Amino acid sequence: MQKIISKFFILLFVLYLSCENKTIRDKEGLIVYQENQISWVRNFEPLNPVSIPRWPTRGGIYESLYLNNPITTDWVPWLATNYKWENNNKKLLFTIRPNVQWSDGKPFSAHDVAYTLNLWNQYSALDTRNAWEYLKSVVAISDTLVQIDFKRIYVPGFEAIAGAPIIPKHIWKELEDPLDFSNPDPVGTGPFTEILRFNTQVWELGKNHNYWQKGKPYVEKLIFPTFSTNEQTTLALLSGKLDWAGAFIPAIQRIFVDKDPEHHHYWFRNTGHSTFLHTNTKDPILKDSNVRKAISYAINREQVVKVGMYDYTKPAHVTSLSGPMAKWHSPEINDKENWTAFNLEKANELLDNAGYRWKNEKERIDANGLPIKFDIIVVSGWSDWVRSAQVISQNLKKIGIKATVRTYDFGAWIVRMQQGKFQMAIGWADKGSTPYNFFKGMMFSEYVKPIGETADINWHRFGIKEADSLIKEFEQTSDPKKMENIIYKLQHLFIEHAPGIPLFTELSWAECNSKYFTNFPNAENPYGPLSPNESGVALTLLNVKKR
Amino acid sequence: MNKSVLYILRRFGFYLIAAFAALTLNFIIPRLMPGDPASIIFARFKGKLKPEAINAMRESFGLTNDPILVQYTSYLKGIFQGELGTSIAYFPEPVSEIIGRGLYWTIFLAGSSMIIAFTIGTTLGIIIAWNRTGKLDTFLPPALAFFGAFPYFWLAMVFLYIFGFSMNWFPIGRAYGGEINPGLNLPFLLSALYHAFLPALTLVFVSLGGWMLSMRNTMISTLGSDYITFANAKGIPSRLIMLRYAARNAILPNLTGFGMALGFMLSGALLTEMIFSYPGQGFLLLQAVTSQDYPLMQGIFMTITFAVLGANWLVDIAILFLDPRTRK
Repeated sequence: MQKIISKFFILLFVLYLSCENKTIRDKEGLIVYQENQISWVRNFEPLNPVSIPRWPTRGGIYESLYLNNPITTDWVPWLATNYKWENNNKKLLFTIRPNVQWSDGKPFSAHDVAYTLNLWNQYSALDTRNAWEYLKSVVAISDTLVQIDFKRIYVPGFEAIAGAPIIPKHIWKELEDPLDFSNPDPVGTGPFTEILRFNTQVWELGKNHNYWQKGKPYVEKLIFPTFSTNEQTTLALLSGKLDWAGAFIPAIQRIFVDKDPEHHHYWFRNTGHSTFLHTNTKDPILKDSNVRKAISYAINREQVVKVGMYDYTKPAHVTSLSGPMAKWHSPEINDKENWTAFNLEKANELLDNAGYRWKNEKERIDANGLPIKFDIIVVSGWSDWVRSAQVISQNLKKIGIKATVRTYDFGAWIVRMQQGKFQMAIGWADKGSTPYNFFKGMMFSEYVKPIGETADINWHRFGIKEADSLIKEFEQTSDPKKMENIIYKLQHLFIEHAPGIPLFTELSWAECNSKYFTNFPNAENPYGPLSPNESGVALTLLNVKKR
Repeated sequence: MNKSVLYILRRFGFYLIAAFAALTLNFIIPRLMPGDPASIIFARFKGKLKPEAINAMRESFGLTNDPILVQYTSYLKGIFQGELGTSIAYFPEPVSEIIGRGLYWTIFLAGSSMIIAFTIGTTLGIIIAWNRTGKLDTFLPPALAFFGAFPYFWLAMVFLYIFGFSMNWFPIGRAYGGEINPGLNLPFLLSALYHAFLPALTLVFVSLGGWMLSMRNTMISTLGSDYITFANAKGIPSRLIMLRYAARNAILPNLTGFGMALGFMLSGALLTEMIFSYPGQGFLLLQAVTSQDYPLMQGIFMTITFAVLGANWLVDIAILFLDPRTRK
């Protein structure tokens, strides 16, 4: 028996030695984590909305005409150098950057852009923004000029076109069915295009030696090992086997930063938008905006943030816009009612005036003598939101409202949201590079569907005529001054009607270990997003350097 | 022997019916889940998609609004042709390929650790039951029951943290080293063994106690039988009594349990695979359920069903040889 045991340990030792030298990391490659995955599928198809291509297919391999910088929310000229609205905003012209090459050496031109946009028309499954609902024609007038004619004036269409990945015509036109294409060997204009190695456990993406920004990127290659859980990711970051990650880490100061403050960094950046407590405005009680405001007043957001969100985020602004979006705040914002401030007296007063009386100091009742009860539905397993909902439920008890937290699996939750079969829920709101998408999602009455019918936007089912006309006006103008004024008015409407209750600011999770690589963006040097999950991540990919 | 063949065939027929029932359930259950895949994909894009695109997507997924019977027959037809459809979570990859990739890692990891745990556990059970007043018998059963009572994910994480992270003896994830290209070569095989060691150790560690205790308990009651006393009286060597007389009879319930466990192994390694980032079936199943990937879910359930039924049939055959009573 002892012989067997000693043999076993010798075998173990040999195994250990034989593998030890191979676990040393490759210091040439930037090791990145972006998604939980256990084995890689070789898919680099950027167009099809149902395919989930390997990151960074959209942005790193394939580029767009303009790049949306999430920190400034500006559109940066990228594959195009300029754009111009003509013919009363019914014609859009893009000047295409000259001397850009595809990674296979073929020249990139306006013809590729026109081909990409026309492909959406040919295959409506690729038209993820439903752009051909307002587009009339797309033509390449010369190698460097694309002309886009609109059926109707729709200025936000610029974002759909400018932000879309452009694919090479000479590859796609050979395809029999672009819907059934996994693009295993991508040819793009982006900074990283060469698949150096691909197996189910790890793959490597090498830099594009033909890249149009000369000298960039600085990093030779990106390496993507699989990580299946956040715990795995955290351990790998700590041990220097991972350089850059977009993962949620609880108590990050103690768990991560304090272990090596010189190299371990994180930047949980405010995206400018908020997480919401959605209120179903078709509910007989919640349809009253004063009740919604009362609920908002009663929520102790400091406590929600502390208990639910590890104190990472901040209580939301009453317009839901903050951080990079704060520049849109109306000049009169400070004179408006601030119903996201914690104020129990105000909450009680609003409920008293709305006719909901106290019964035995414990609960409020309606005109029929029934107690006020709501369910707050949350996705099970999204523990930060579940905890937030529990705090809110405690808070609402103080104003006599009984709110029960119910958790559902994501599939069940989203069906309830879309069909309007909920009273209150924690969820996200629509967002974009301007507050337009947000206000449209919150108050546009054409999006309101009857209860039971699937609505992909406006789950809370709120719409008013004043907002409709402002939104339509916004869609017609390309004048920045006018746009600003419309957004101010939309804010005032939002504050007046409280169609949803902003809870706390939304962050993007990101951390890096700068032991082997440096020049990651941070709050002091915010040249790009640190989270690989954000738009405009190409800015970061281009500037990270080997130490 | 004729009777034995009949017995095997009869069992086979029984499993065939069971398989058919399981396949039908496998078709029905995912369809009872709330939410349809298209609306989940709707949600993933947070309102950027319009219904026109959704319809085209449904077509490319093969999600149809056909009557349920039509769907059922095309489902059965697909299975017999080995066609399991296209995965939604890993679009556009076929389900059979995805499962094929995950399956052999699970079989390798969970299968080998189960065989190890079964062998060691059963042997220990025989030994401690035979010397049931010895030191091993007073120490091992409570100790293993103690460790077996820990939540598995916690134990696995502790192992991962201590041996993988703090001491850096073992890799903290994945099935083989990053530098190695998979194939039939020594570095790959060594690396695969090295990577499987820690997850396998945790699996053996928690399941050992169960095998050992059940073996010990049946063994003790068998040892009380008259024929053991008789064999002792005849002067048969005690080693022979222990193995050929007592253990052979006592192992039958454990063997049936082994057949059951073989099937569950395909899904049961889920936590191990999550914690150690191991590329097997369990993680796929989770992925399939969270993204309403019916084709992948059905494919995985089907492999599990066939594995359970197949393993049980093999156990039936093994029992036929071990237990002469079944031959009558």
